[in-house]
Amino acid sequence: MTIKSDNLSGAVRHRARWRPNGAQIITGMATGFLVLLAFLAVFADWVSPYDPLRQNLMEALQGPSAAHWLGTDDLGRDVLSRLIHGCRIAAIAAAEATTIAVLLGVPIGLFIGYRGGMWDWVVMRIVEAVVSIPGIMVAIVIIAILGAGLHRAMIALGILFSTSFLRLARGVVLAEREEVYVRSARVVGASDNRILIRHIFPNIAPPLIVQVTLTVGAVLLAEAGLSFIGLGVQPPQASWGTMLNTAAAFMDFNWFLSVPPGVAIILTVLSVNLLGDVLRDSIGRGIAVAVTPDKPAQRFAPEPVAAEPVSLARRADEILRVENLQVMVPARSGGEVPVITDLSLSIARGETLGLVGESGSGKTLTGLAILGLLATGVRTTHGSIMLNGRDLRELTRHQMEQVRGNEAAMVFQDPTTSLNPAFTVGSQISEVLRMKQSLTRKQAWNRTVELIDRVGIPRPEERARAYPHELSGGMAQRVAIARALSCNPSLLIADEPTTALDVTVQQEILDLFRDLQAEFGMAILFVTHDLAVAADICDRIAVMYAGEMVEMADVDPLFAEPRHPYTSGLLSAMPHASDRMPPLPTIRGNVPRPGDWPVGCRFSDRCDYKIAACDARIPLVGTERQVRCIRACEFGMEAAS
Amino acid sequence: MLKLIVQRLLALLPLLFIVSVLTFSFTSLLPSDPVDLIIGDTGTEEQYEIVRERLGLNEPIHLRYLQWLGRAVQGDLGSSFFNSVSVMGAVMQRLPVTLSLTAMSALIAIVIGVAAGVAAALRPRSWVDRFATIGATFGQAVPNFWFGLILVAIFAVNLRWFPATGFTPLTESPWEWLRSVILPSIALGTSSSAAIARQVRSAMVGVLQQDYIRAARAQGLSTRRIIFRHALTNALVPVVAVLSFQITVLLGGALIVEQVFAINGLGTLAIAAVRQQDIPLLQGLVLVMVGLVVLVQLATDIIYGLLNPKARPS
Amino acid sequence: MKALIRNSIVSAVVCVGLGLGATANAEPSGTFKYAEQVKLITMDPQQQSGSGVPYLRPVYESLFEKAPDGKAVPLLATGYEIDGLNVKIMLRQGISFSNGEAFNAEVAAANINRGVQLAIIEGLKTVESAEAIDDYTFVIKLKEPDPAIIDSLCYTGGMMLAPAAMADPTIDRNPIGTGPYVHSKDQSREGEVQVYTPNPTYWDKEMIGLSRYEVWEIPDDTARLNALKTGQIDAGNWLANPQAAIIDRTAGLKLVRNTGGLNYHVIISDREGTVVPAFADRNVRLAMAHSIDRAAFGKAVLFGLSEDSYQPYAKGSWAYNPDLEGVYAYDVDKAKEYMAKSAFPDGFTFDMPSIPIYQSRLEALAGFFKEIGITMNIAPVEPGTLARRSRTTDFPATNLVWNTNTDPKFLSLRYIYEDAAYNPFKTKPSEELLSLAEAGLQSVETDVRGPIYQKLAAKLAEEAFLIFVANSPILIGASEKTDANPTVVYRYGEDSINLRGLKAND
Repeated sequence: MTIKSDNLSGAVRHRARWRPNGAQIITGMATGFLVLLAFLAVFADWVSPYDPLRQNLMEALQGPSAAHWLGTDDLGRDVLSRLIHGCRIAAIAAAEATTIAVLLGVPIGLFIGYRGGMWDWVVMRIVEAVVSIPGIMVAIVIIAILGAGLHRAMIALGILFSTSFLRLARGVVLAEREEVYVRSARVVGASDNRILIRHIFPNIAPPLIVQVTLTVGAVLLAEAGLSFIGLGVQPPQASWGTMLNTAAAFMDFNWFLSVPPGVAIILTVLSVNLLGDVLRDSIGRGIAVAVTPDKPAQRFAPEPVAAEPVSLARRADEILRVENLQVMVPARSGGEVPVITDLSLSIARGETLGLVGESGSGKTLTGLAILGLLATGVRTTHGSIMLNGRDLRELTRHQMEQVRGNEAAMVFQDPTTSLNPAFTVGSQISEVLRMKQSLTRKQAWNRTVELIDRVGIPRPEERARAYPHELSGGMAQRVAIARALSCNPSLLIADEPTTALDVTVQQEILDLFRDLQAEFGMAILFVTHDLAVAADICDRIAVMYAGEMVEMADVDPLFAEPRHPYTSGLLSAMPHASDRMPPLPTIRGNVPRPGDWPVGCRFSDRCDYKIAACDARIPLVGTERQVRCIRACEFGMEAAS
Repeated sequence: MLKLIVQRLLALLPLLFIVSVLTFSFTSLLPSDPVDLIIGDTGTEEQYEIVRERLGLNEPIHLRYLQWLGRAVQGDLGSSFFNSVSVMGAVMQRLPVTLSLTAMSALIAIVIGVAAGVAAALRPRSWVDRFATIGATFGQAVPNFWFGLILVAIFAVNLRWFPATGFTPLTESPWEWLRSVILPSIALGTSSSAAIARQVRSAMVGVLQQDYIRAARAQGLSTRRIIFRHALTNALVPVVAVLSFQITVLLGGALIVEQVFAINGLGTLAIAAVRQQDIPLLQGLVLVMVGLVVLVQLATDIIYGLLNPKARPS
Repeated sequence: MKALIRNSIVSAVVCVGLGLGATANAEPSGTFKYAEQVKLITMDPQQQSGSGVPYLRPVYESLFEKAPDGKAVPLLATGYEIDGLNVKIMLRQGISFSNGEAFNAEVAAANINRGVQLAIIEGLKTVESAEAIDDYTFVIKLKEPDPAIIDSLCYTGGMMLAPAAMADPTIDRNPIGTGPYVHSKDQSREGEVQVYTPNPTYWDKEMIGLSRYEVWEIPDDTARLNALKTGQIDAGNWLANPQAAIIDRTAGLKLVRNTGGLNYHVIISDREGTVVPAFADRNVRLAMAHSIDRAAFGKAVLFGLSEDSYQPYAKGSWAYNPDLEGVYAYDVDKAKEYMAKSAFPDGFTFDMPSIPIYQSRLEALAGFFKEIGITMNIAPVEPGTLARRSRTTDFPATNLVWNTNTDPKFLSLRYIYEDAAYNPFKTKPSEELLSLAEAGLQSVETDVRGPIYQKLAAKLAEEAFLIFVANSPILIGASEKTDANPTVVYRYGEDSINLRGLKAND
């Protein structure tokens, strides 16, 4: 049984991959625009209304008109025609420079990746040196050697951009080489080199395509820039860059001249970049897409699950009392589905309530819901959360911030990720003290050291100055506990605080919890999947399944006499200390996903004791000891016998 | 920290060496004979030999390189072929101009990029996010010099808020300096701000999903504190790496944007050097630029170390 | 043939008085800022080939200068006598260079000899050598009769360098002369501004009216215009271009049309067809000349600030030939006929050097030539190097402006003689051209020389290796205050302000 913190990642991940049709439209438009450009480039002579070099000095610097849709330039040449012929230059430029870059970069990259050693070292140092010079300067120096002009400038850009192809090809070879050697250790047959060659080509193609689109965009911008400063395409040839050069000189007379070539460059580069992004995403290299839904789930008023009358007994000195809690999450289909329903529980001062269940049962979410830490899109829709007599659901965001840390705190599963890697652990504790308790910097620091000492870390002063990555897991969890307890909260929610730790460390941490509870007297909601741990530390245990509580009892009776088949199943799956064998899954199947719950008893499709009546809604019965099973009595006796 | 700096500096020495070899050998490949250019058509055979000797062109290339390198490490990059101005002097005179542009545009790029990236990451898929994402995509497609032209047309020619051209040294008048660099810096910094915004957004979205952010919220820290202290500090780690590259790009972009605003910086010098085939000047320019890039890399390495404790040498 | 001319000092005094509305003993104060459109190449007048004289004038004084009426009057000299091939020049006494070295006949002769030896200044091409005959008199020996020698000494050819400067290899940035101002290297910024401060040892202190003079190097026309608008500069020079047109129509700015014109023309250097065989064909050259629509060119490229041009000189000059008006007027059909007649009916391709300020002119020309099947590639060269590159065989053709104040004999020195400056391919001139060129030197009388040069211009139009396009006046943009400043006197036929007596605007 592998149990991960149940964060609904599955559902959310699926939603993220879904892109709105808008994106497809944009992609289509980008492709369409590039096709149009290609068309204009090929058929420029037929399409353009005038000869791009045909001047008419008497009609210079005119604005757009019927005869000249985009006006005329300083020599009375038709701007539209020049723009169309500029497409050809842009296409030639992009093709030339990119081809040179690929033809130069890929073979050298493959070669040095394959040969390695001295060749690799020397070439890579040269590449590093070239890359450290601003690209445009490299191009300028190469143009100084070759001379200005379209083709020579494109050779310069080709050489410049070849470095990225070189590195790409080399990277692929090195990766594949590793792969092939690992494999060839097992399979004897074709020579390594042949395998290598056979492997490189399919693997280099996808990143190469992405790199080509990136390069095309960069080449277009660089060509325009070089032409603009007079080192690229030479007038009177019409390139978008040279057109801008002219426009710059006549800004005072006809500013519109600068618009058509500028827009042409922007749209072209934009289209190429957009396609590149799409390619990159689909090929799966590069930045992951945001893991958030496209839009908030459409809210729909869920049929309120008829709230059960709360039968939960009032306890003396009650710190937390949750009644009829219901939490909804966004569903794939766009609506919302409940993930916790009708949950009621209470914890008294100095008491530890264990919340157990498999992954996906809603335990962690319950803890987060209490503290109001649900992720965006997830929300509490029903019920009350009374902490020290106040309903947390009624509080404003700001009031809630006040509650967190001061009245209720939380310890998370993985101590190494729940501490901020950028700050020393001490500063993270003292920050809380300063913010929440208005201590001075010095007071806070002293208290921090005390707390670190209190949670059993030797040399606390020194450890306070350590960064999280410098501490062991157990030590980090002690720090996290110290931070949670720094403001002496009345409720501590511990979410699988020992799961990520070594077995030997686990016990120490549990002991620490016990000690601290004895000293501070806080109520603890202890979320765990591990019944053994729960048995060790809890006073009472609540068993959750598919978003609802199925059984709650004091530890001893629960273990001695489980009344719900699910509890029973969990107990059977529990490894015994003497038993070194891996636990056998004794409950068949998996926890159903939210939204796929059976209508009646949610455990019914995994239950060996299912009867027809289980298809109806099953109430939670009892006060001190609660169970949600219509066959609880029979089952309990059976199990006990 | 000192150790880190020294380590990095030592690591950069071979780079500078290779760059110097590359620039020297490549610029020596220039097609036209500089001597012909200097003495012009009226020059005699005698003059030709004298100039050739004076420029040391009769020596084999490796000796010339060693001599040049020997002087270069002492800060002497020789003098221009065409006048008696020392390369170091000419470059140093223009350096503040290009540096002003680069620094100001980097500042603009960082401020806008980080602000837009954070705003977008806080409310993914909101209109802020969409606006920032579309803006960033556009920003990366706009040629900086074209944007400069448009800025001039609007803010200098029509509204007259800023000078259209020229540069005022910071030492002369800080206010005028600011006015003279603001438009070129915006023109230059926009595409970098777009790149930075994209990077910040994706890093920030990732960081905001980290456990330590939830843990900080669980401690009841204010949202502002969580975003700007806990999340941003971590989100900037990958951004800093991008920043070093972006500043190199900005330095290159400055060369072109200078032309739009008729600013006499390294770009104007570089273009003149190419047109005149002034080899010593070209060599010096490339070397100084690489030196700048190296310093920027060093600075970003240090910032990287400050932000990311794991990267510090222990 | 002998001519003896005596020139009195009186006229010099008159001239100086003109630029002087000023009180005599006011302390120099204020700054005057001038913007120059060409980049500073060198501050050595004798190695200076193109324009950029405004950088030199504050420091260097010439032996003679042009009075507002265009006549040469003494400055560092006091007078001259021409006797055949000997030109005797008397020098002003008691003058020293700003570094303390004395100015005398020996130094003046050394200057001329250096200029002759460097062989860059075309005005000194006719000079054999110079020699001091006493402390303040020296003689220039000519190789051939030169009616324009005194004119030449008004410009860079007559500028006097201190002996130390002549020996200094870094003279290009360390000028030392006798002028009213000295160059301040510390305050100057290379490629941006050259700063000049009063010369404490100047021989005519009352003529120093400024505490600081600046020449800004702003090759970008728009930048220069903006600098003028914002008051960053007080005045600057322009070619006939959109920015000059803007100055002309902007309230608060004044476009001064100074005497003299800049006559834009195309030079077919390779007229024997060494590199571009088509250029050897006169039909091709005539076709090119006829293909240019000068009216449109003037309107669109020179913004109506110019006149159509078919010869070196403009109306009113003694060398102007009225018969040549429209001699190769715009006529595409005729141009095409010439091309068809030529050995190159299908056209050809050639390279043309360009600097940014000529870019649009050349694009326009390229458009005209394209109409008759000729492809002209525009090759950019660094601003300030066009003249130098034009003297090399790098390009088969070039384009320059001809300053109409220049004596016509320079036409020969530049374009006609086998060793002419802009005849890099060493083409031998036709017999007729050569004889006309030589005839023009035989007299100093314009009545005699005029008809000769008019004939020369007609012959040039016939051979069509110099194709004149448009003539525009020397344009100086000035602010309102500069325009109202009575001490601002523009040098005759030059794009600079006379610094002697110049005071700040306020």
